[in-house]
Amino acid sequence: MSTRVLAKRRLVTLTLLRRESIGGLYHVLTFEDPDGSVALPGQFTMVRGAEWGDAPLLPRPMSYLSGGNTPSILIKVIGEGTVRMGRAEPGEPFTLLGPLGQPWRAPQPGRRVVLVAGGVGVAPLLFLARRLAQSGAPKPIAVYGGRSARDLPLDDELAELAELHTATEDGSRGTRGRVTDVLGELLAADQDVFTCGPDRMMAKVAELCAARDVPCEASLETPMACGYGVCLGCPVPTTDGAYVYACTQGPCIDARRVDWSRGDHAPKKGVHAPKGKS
Amino acid sequence: MSLLAVDVGGLTLKNPVLTASGCFGYGLEYDDFYDVAELGGICSKGLSLHPRAGNPPERICETPAGMLNAIGLANVGVEAFCKDKLPILRERGVTVVANIFASSVADFVAITERLNRETGVAAIELNVSCPNVTEGGIEFGKDARMAGEVTRAVRAATELPVWVKMSPEAGNIVAVARACEEAGADAITAINTIRGMSIDVEQSKLRLANRMGGFSGPALRPIALRIVWEIAAAVSIPVIAIGGISTTRDALEFLLAGARAVQVGTANFVDPSAAKRVLDGLREYCESKRIDVKSLIGSAR
Repeated sequence: MSTRVLAKRRLVTLTLLRRESIGGLYHVLTFEDPDGSVALPGQFTMVRGAEWGDAPLLPRPMSYLSGGNTPSILIKVIGEGTVRMGRAEPGEPFTLLGPLGQPWRAPQPGRRVVLVAGGVGVAPLLFLARRLAQSGAPKPIAVYGGRSARDLPLDDELAELAELHTATEDGSRGTRGRVTDVLGELLAADQDVFTCGPDRMMAKVAELCAARDVPCEASLETPMACGYGVCLGCPVPTTDGAYVYACTQGPCIDARRVDWSRGDHAPKKGVHAPKGKS
Repeated sequence: MSLLAVDVGGLTLKNPVLTASGCFGYGLEYDDFYDVAELGGICSKGLSLHPRAGNPPERICETPAGMLNAIGLANVGVEAFCKDKLPILRERGVTVVANIFASSVADFVAITERLNRETGVAAIELNVSCPNVTEGGIEFGKDARMAGEVTRAVRAATELPVWVKMSPEAGNIVAVARACEEAGADAITAINTIRGMSIDVEQSKLRLANRMGGFSGPALRPIALRIVWEIAAAVSIPVIAIGGISTTRDALEFLLAGARAVQVGTANFVDPSAAKRVLDGLREYCESKRIDVKSLIGSAR
């Protein structure tokens, strides 16, 4: 997939158009981009307040929730960066570097698309679902899980674009249990799975898919400093004993290439990771 | 005559703004942003005799106005650099400083000899912040005798200018810099990162898999400035400053302290065009004041 010709990356200063608080720790930030972002579903951007000064120092990797003239991101307020983003007011300037990384590959013809999302991991999958709807593709299945009903941001939008199944650990919404319990029930050989969420969830999704020989594409989550291939801070172990760098060889990657067993690269609180978790 | 050209130990740089090793890849990742040939030079990712995969994750974490990294010197190795990277850089007219590291003097020399066979390397920068396995694993750069020894060996092995990048971990960094000068170094680069740590209190877990990492970024700047100041007073060869330089103002601070050139490091992670911004600002500063950058060097002393 690395042979795809990707759009030129730009660092632009964009104005925050609006910040929607969508319950719990979640917010959608929408920016105004007069030139238009050519981001594809699955790609990400490094986001930083233009007036943050020297701290927090690093931009935050965030999957695009949408592109075009109003690119948006979904954030969960966890660390220093997202606390600031969660308080940002319209008109505030942000720098966005992007589009970065490998987008989702095209779904395989003849297979039903299944989107498996955990929490803020829904962002790149919603972007994909919207693209699929625009292209007239059959409605995908979506399996969306979180700790509780509060941890399913943008579930209403996903319900419009996909046949939605939900799971919460406390049973406050949908099936009581994990997203992978639901997936295990409905996964069929003629499907094509796209997943984004916590590492432990994606590892289990990858395992289920591999066992049933279903193709599975995962969007990787790791801390990153630069997002464009020079800091080498985002290695993810692969099954061949090497590393891929999530920023340039990912974030979207064939789940079978990832060595999930070595995954101590799960996101940790206070360490910023893609998909809006810092 | 350019207002920005500087002489760094026999090597004329078109301007005093370089990028730091480890913060700029191989200089080939910037096509979308700007022409890196505009810079005074780029310091390559640290090159070893053989390729290195680097440390397991987590490799980085953010700290107040800075960051820690324990990348583990991941690099393609000197051979792949010469074959795959250098020809493109040469073609583009990029001033390339090859940053090298090894765990023995013999390997430092072997890498140097491999680089000697290429054209397009403007200078060699020695990363001496790595353990010398033949002498009990003590970092070369912590010890004036060992730093001098490796400098002397590389000096004897090449006609290229040799820069030595100081480890701030040295007890007496001025003595180390002097030893490198005596051993034939053409310039001193100061400083490398300082080792630091960070702990995730909620999970009671170290933030870096390697436990410790190199601390860099704006928070490092006052320490780097103090060390550059001290070294510039103690040696007669040029000092190239590095440590938290993000803006033209930061670069000026180091030039006024006596640095002949500067390297932009961590700032590249925040803005891929950081070094270009520093350079453009410096050009504007010199042109608007009609002063030669050389006249600024050490002017605050």
